[in-house]
Amino acid sequence: MKVLRARAERFGGIVEIERPRALLHVDRQMMRELGYRDSPLWQLAEDGPLSAPREVHVVLSRRCAAGCRGCYVDATPDGAALSLEEARRILDQLAAMGVFHVALGGGEALELDYLFAVAEHARAVGITPNLTTSGLGLDADAARRCAVFGQINVSVDGVGPAYAQARGFDGFRHAERALRLLRAVKPEVGVNCVVSRSSFDHVPEVARLVKRLRLNELELLRFKPVGRGRGLDEELTPAQCRALFPMARRLVFRHRIRVKLDCSFAPMVFWHRPSKEVAAFFGVQGCVAGDVLAAVQPEGAFTGCSFLSTAAADARIPGAMAAAWPSGFAEVRGYPARAPEPCASCEYLALCRGGCRAVGSPDPGCPRVQEHRARRALPVLAT
Amino acid sequence: MKLRRGRVLQATFGCNPNSSSLGVDVTFLLFGSLLASTLALLLGALLRRNPQR
Repeated sequence: MKVLRARAERFGGIVEIERPRALLHVDRQMMRELGYRDSPLWQLAEDGPLSAPREVHVVLSRRCAAGCRGCYVDATPDGAALSLEEARRILDQLAAMGVFHVALGGGEALELDYLFAVAEHARAVGITPNLTTSGLGLDADAARRCAVFGQINVSVDGVGPAYAQARGFDGFRHAERALRLLRAVKPEVGVNCVVSRSSFDHVPEVARLVKRLRLNELELLRFKPVGRGRGLDEELTPAQCRALFPMARRLVFRHRIRVKLDCSFAPMVFWHRPSKEVAAFFGVQGCVAGDVLAAVQPEGAFTGCSFLSTAAADARIPGAMAAAWPSGFAEVRGYPARAPEPCASCEYLALCRGGCRAVGSPDPGCPRVQEHRARRALPVLAT
Repeated sequence: MKLRRGRVLQATFGCNPNSSSLGVDVTFLLFGSLLASTLALLLGALLRRNPQR
């Protein structure tokens, strides 16, 4: 088993292996057995934030011609973008911090003529670049060049007419063609599907598409009321919040595909009381903004995740991200310690972390919060 | 005294291309704790067997 990279953490370290592609958290003794020297971090208590994010979402631009009605970055055809040099310098800094993966996105990253140069630079500094795209404009040549990426997911929020209904334009044929072109190049191709109130019932059709095209994953992303989505009434209903995890389970069994849910769905999963030990081992967690995850916005803001707007630093300034990391996201990280009811007494709080900060705290999509509110009025603390 | 062997504490598979972090891999969550502990032992053994870096 080949170890690609490793870095020390308070609890021991994080090790990246190639086959199977995985990030493993190991204890201090395992790090020693692997030949790593004792780290100064091992003098600290094992609990505490990571020394750096494991993955960073680099929002290369707010530039996209598609104009999706719920676009969370409010992308326009001439939106802001990081330059190639800025992106390279940011990747250099992230590599120095020990970041393992970056997710490149936008906007539509494929509209940037330097996207592949950014991805190649990430590889050169030891970071795995991954990509989310709408697939619009992807041709066979661009698909071949996409071999540089680790995982590529194409956004498909519905099949056929359901795509147009969800995104506001008819782009399904383009997305399906892009999936076929990419799948011919590499196996690590999947689908991102935003689950909203109106698209919920169409998710099984997307799962069938994933099966039919032999894609390696279906990732369900929760609709969040940010960007242009702020004006839409598309958050899941309480019944849908309860039905989400059982639906995902059915899709796994019925289609034998890998189904993943983004971190914002954690409260809707933990309400079904899965094994805490299994969840902890497989890294099932709620909001990991400013901990496992961080984001860089096109204007340079270094944020806890791409849905949060409070900047801890300007990522374009050399050293600023590393300097801000230890305490810059204390407010986001600290929610479990100051959580009100019903989070405070929830046995899953350490894993769930109170749900998605971009939606609200406590998370209004959590069935436990909904039940609590049904019994008594509960203030929502916006973040 | 015999030294305790090192352990794998957590495993996340694949890469995440998204704006939000991978929260739940439903496929793995369906398995029981026996599989998680077996996988921890197996990954640990494989890591020790060939600690290339």
